[in-house]
Amino acid sequence: MFSQIFILSPRGDTIINRDFRSDLPKSTPETFFRQAKTYSGDANPLFAVDCIQFAHIKRGGLYIVGTSRFNLQPAMSLELLDRLAKEIKDFCGVINEEVLRKNFILIYEILDESFDFGYPQLMATEQIKPLIVNDPIQPQPDSVMNSLRPKIQTFNIFVPNTIGSQAVQRSVLNKNQANEIFVDIYEKLNVLFNSSAYVINQSIEGCIQMTSFLQGNPPLKLALNDDLQIGRQQGQYSAGVILDDCNFHECVNANELDMNKTLRIQPPDGQFVVMNYRISGDYSAPFRLFPIIEEISSSKIEVTIKLKACFDAKILASYANVRIPIPKQTANAYPELLKNAQQETAEYDSNKKIVEWQIKKLQGGQERSLKIKLTLQATQTAHTARKEIGPIAMNFEIPMFNVSRLQIKYLRIEERGNTTNPHRWVRYITQSSSYVCRI
Amino acid sequence: MSRPSASASTSSSSRSSRSRYGKEVKELQDALNQNKIESKRDAIRKIIDAMTRGKDVSMLFPDVAKNMETSNLELKKLVYLYIINYAKIMPDLAVMAVNSFRKDARDKTNPFLRALAIRTMGCIRVKLITEYLLDPLKESIKDEDSYVRKTAAICISKLYDVSPELIEEQGLLKLLENLLNDGNAMVVANAVCALLIVQESKGTTMLQLNPYTIQKILTAMNECNEWGVIYCLDALAMYIPEDGKEAEAILERVSPRLNHNNPGVVLSACKIMMKFLDYLQNPETIRQNALKMTAPLISLLSLGKEPEIQYVALKNINLIIQKRPIIIEKDIKVFFCNFNDPIYIKLQKLEVLSKLANNDNIQQILHELKEYTQEVDVEFVRKSVRTIGRCAIKLEKAAEKCVTALWECLKTKVNYVVMESIIVIRDIFRKYPRKYEMILKDLCENLKSLEDPEAKASMIWIIGEYVDTIENADSLLANFSENFKDEPANVQHQILVAVMKLFLQRPNDGKELIHNLLKTATIECENPDLRDRAYIYWRMLSTDPELAKKIVFTERPTISDSSYTIENELLDKLIENIGNLSSVYTKKPESFVKKLRDVLNSKIADKIDDVYDQDQLMEGKPEDYSDQQGGQSTVYENNYDTSSQIQSQIQQSQIQQVSQKIDLLELDDNQPQQQQQQQPQIQTQIQTQIPTQSIQNIRIPFAEVLTANTPGSQTQVQGLSIETAFQKNGDKIVLDLKITNKTQDKTFSDFGIKFNKNPFKLQPDTIEIQCQPVFPGQTQIAQSLINTNGPAFEEPPQMPYKIQVALKTNLDVFYFFIPMSLSVLFSSTASITQQKFIELSQAQNIARKQEVLQIQIDPQRMKERLERNYFFLIGVRKDERGVELLSYAASLVNGMPLLVNVIHTPTAINLQLQVPHPTLMPLLYQAIGFILTLN
Repeated sequence: MFSQIFILSPRGDTIINRDFRSDLPKSTPETFFRQAKTYSGDANPLFAVDCIQFAHIKRGGLYIVGTSRFNLQPAMSLELLDRLAKEIKDFCGVINEEVLRKNFILIYEILDESFDFGYPQLMATEQIKPLIVNDPIQPQPDSVMNSLRPKIQTFNIFVPNTIGSQAVQRSVLNKNQANEIFVDIYEKLNVLFNSSAYVINQSIEGCIQMTSFLQGNPPLKLALNDDLQIGRQQGQYSAGVILDDCNFHECVNANELDMNKTLRIQPPDGQFVVMNYRISGDYSAPFRLFPIIEEISSSKIEVTIKLKACFDAKILASYANVRIPIPKQTANAYPELLKNAQQETAEYDSNKKIVEWQIKKLQGGQERSLKIKLTLQATQTAHTARKEIGPIAMNFEIPMFNVSRLQIKYLRIEERGNTTNPHRWVRYITQSSSYVCRI
Repeated sequence: MSRPSASASTSSSSRSSRSRYGKEVKELQDALNQNKIESKRDAIRKIIDAMTRGKDVSMLFPDVAKNMETSNLELKKLVYLYIINYAKIMPDLAVMAVNSFRKDARDKTNPFLRALAIRTMGCIRVKLITEYLLDPLKESIKDEDSYVRKTAAICISKLYDVSPELIEEQGLLKLLENLLNDGNAMVVANAVCALLIVQESKGTTMLQLNPYTIQKILTAMNECNEWGVIYCLDALAMYIPEDGKEAEAILERVSPRLNHNNPGVVLSACKIMMKFLDYLQNPETIRQNALKMTAPLISLLSLGKEPEIQYVALKNINLIIQKRPIIIEKDIKVFFCNFNDPIYIKLQKLEVLSKLANNDNIQQILHELKEYTQEVDVEFVRKSVRTIGRCAIKLEKAAEKCVTALWECLKTKVNYVVMESIIVIRDIFRKYPRKYEMILKDLCENLKSLEDPEAKASMIWIIGEYVDTIENADSLLANFSENFKDEPANVQHQILVAVMKLFLQRPNDGKELIHNLLKTATIECENPDLRDRAYIYWRMLSTDPELAKKIVFTERPTISDSSYTIENELLDKLIENIGNLSSVYTKKPESFVKKLRDVLNSKIADKIDDVYDQDQLMEGKPEDYSDQQGGQSTVYENNYDTSSQIQSQIQQSQIQQVSQKIDLLELDDNQPQQQQQQQPQIQTQIQTQIPTQSIQNIRIPFAEVLTANTPGSQTQVQGLSIETAFQKNGDKIVLDLKITNKTQDKTFSDFGIKFNKNPFKLQPDTIEIQCQPVFPGQTQIAQSLINTNGPAFEEPPQMPYKIQVALKTNLDVFYFFIPMSLSVLFSSTASITQQKFIELSQAQNIARKQEVLQIQIDPQRMKERLERNYFFLIGVRKDERGVELLSYAASLVNGMPLLVNVIHTPTAINLQLQVPHPTLMPLLYQAIGFILTLN
């Protein structure tokens, strides 16, 4: 397994360096950083230099790197680094350079409990909590470093940067904290439309995520929809929620899921994913796009895009962005919004040849539209250029809404004689993953 | 933590900073020696901070080590951290710390303290210290607390890395095996893990897998954490079940792990599933078990996972479906690319899609692929086009649909799409010859934009292949040949082959092209492969064009999609490594793990490395072989290099300079004597050669003088092909004929031949040719003797010198021209003396010319060849620089004298030619070229 684990700052300074096996040269952090910088974008998560295998993830701008000289397991390695990052986050509240520099002793402690000889040992926050003697040092709230810190990388599963949650930036070691638990149901949508707004392919990737600050880690019982069904039979139609596949965190006992639609959970501290699920069946897409392309003349094209929010009027999408790639031979493009448009912008990026249409707050049932007037360079005719328009991609987030209708019926804390009633926060979030309309 | 950089920075820094550094150290020392825990703790924090940043703080070792025996756990941990880092470079001081460790390891009250000591001791990789560790370690294996036992298990593997002999001597491995029986799952898992580590470095089986231990591991797997599960699964994967029943039982226990949300666990479980499925007999059980993997594998592709995990999953799915396609048959949609997938995911998905394609889903896949070809990312688009091609080759029934899709790609006129399509269509044409000619027209419209060499080479190959269908193939190929010299090797090769095909199919259109091309390829190209190929073609054409046709248009081995799959042996090896790096690299683990061992000069030098050495030997073989090949090819070059490099290049050559100094016209007095002395020797030499001359004359290459599609003059019969050449055979002239019948149903016989009037009055001895009747498809060789008593012809010979001939057969009369070389007409008797030579060279009405023959030939060989072909040496001169000038004379059958002065240089031959008539000049030059290059 890992020979070393080190954490580097965005500039390549070593913040943490733990050598487990002493079978690799001391200079590996430099080797790693030099190689990582040769990539134009983000470096490959796995690469090898002189038969040294490097696995790394990027969190809060920092490189968390594991090295090995063996035939290591890439999936497991990346998972390990991810878990390590989660642990550090659980203990320190956030991951950034300043916090890690301040808490490096604590992180060495975490590392030593999590890995022995490079092999993972205990990686659950609540298991190593009793073994950790250092307290986390919180960063100065208004320090320059803090305000300048890079945005949390979108590398992680679900980006919690739009909806603030109290759970996000808190350490599990904080003794005087509220007794509470956060439950999030995230759903990411994959939809592919053809030009007549007919759905070609669609799926949902969802998960139930918990962030637990419950004192004493009491067992939980989580009940889901009664009409839940797992595994799809060929050609079967059912009104209920059908999950194609699901998997669970190891603290979850799913034996009763088929019968009672309930999960028994022994929650660890901090953040964990209770269940991942996948749905491939039909669902009604929350947004529909209707693109119309007209050739005005041999050098002019007009693109009109209508966007319809097909969900309940009580629900509000927090943002919806539409990207429209336009022909490379475009001389100029003028996006025009409707006259009464509010909280909307449309911009043409002449370098990337993309029109970005951004809508803040879109209420269910509403319709918006955008007209783009394109002028082409003389070298291309409208007829051939129109093929280069698209595909149109959408990004959005809709809070308190989920497409699959998977719901949490109740979350019960199964401890008798417990007088305090912990706070339970349940959120639903729907995001786009790949939401594309072909032209 | 790198010491050199730290010391470098201190040495290079200014004195003031050095003193500041010294001051800091002093302050830290003071703080460490105080009694207050807080100040000590802060000091060590600072020290470790410096250590992490690469500063050398090893000088503080004694001060830090003093604080080991503190009861404050936080301080103790910090001190341990420091000691682990510096123990290796200061082993003597580290021994001081041993007692403290031993004490902690026996602490009665706190199991965590015991475990901490054991863990830290294991990290001090110093042999000296290992010995002190053994006793506390043995005790900790039997510790009452499972946390200590699990730490001890790993500790054994750590120490094995430091001093394996000691660990074996002390029987610690036996104790480790006993831990497999431990009641605590985590301890069992760690024991499994430690045994696997030792096994890996030792190279022999450490973990005895039998039904009993398997049960232990299976039980432990249910209780330990996810990482423990992975260790257990990896151990199980090594087990070879006794029968199908056992395998099924194990699968029963393993399959629930597929629903874990840790991808490492899922892949390790898949590894066992894949391996054990081989042991099951009942097809239905196999099917059911295989299908259990479907959903979990697809779930690994969820966008919720990092793209890297998806990538690993795709790589593994690619392997798994090669072994058991049933696992993912229906769910093709999940492999459709999302617009926000990173490029490496998209490419990998295409790879999987092409494997999943079958006659039922091809329509759906093609539709999707067509969409991809319109995307922006060039690499993705190209791979999409290529995938369409692979589907066409894989699925014969769907090939037409795929070709239609590619046709559409061609029509887009987008440069890279077109280029990629052409490459793909080449393969399709190979797989389904002559089936999709309808797209040729559109293909030929895209010749301008072929920047990519592979696309260009493919296009040329296609033209060559359809040279009979594409009417303007000759002009297309001529265009491509224009820049022949500047093209990359693969394009040059294809041009050569295509022009060859053109010539063989349509000799009249390709004649000039092939001639020029072969010339360029043999003279100006540096690539030996290309040159050799050109020589081979040239020789094939000159000896037997029919055979050349057979060879060039030979049936090619068919291509199939299997060329993209991994051979079974490697596949099985990779299946064993599902989830590991080797499955991602699709390489055996040895290929990237062991090298490092060499690099690090590892101590594990026993069996495995022996095997590795053998591997190297094995690898050595192809190299030896290639050496042999290299040798062969130089032999070829030697043979070929002498070939004709006839280039009429008039330049002021060396010969002029030499002849200015040694003026042949005004010989010194003593020189003729020398030469006269030499002459008898030469003549005897010639005489001794004469008996063997009959076989030593050069063979003029056959020329195809009558092609099968040339009609006869009277009844327009076609299908007779004749190749012929005049040859010198001793002092006789003969005409060799090769008569081939290319008709289906006619037989040619009763051949007769007659020459038109010609300059040297050549005529056949008899009109009839002694030859058997030539039946359809047959070839006959015939010979006709020639004399020089024919009717006179007043015109001097012209270059090219050809003789018109009429050939009579039973069916028709054919007219054609036979090329003639002057070398055939040399008189075999020496008629020019030295005196005559001087006279002639002084004569007024003689044509003189300087020529250079660009060939490399050994001087002895040159002399021998010239003399063998009736050039008689008249004299040899040397100037003061040692340059040798040879004077030769030959006479033609009609008595005309030909004089040649020769200077040999390593790279070329300089010639001064003197002939009675200027029209003979090029003929003589050509004849010398033939003599020096042909055998």
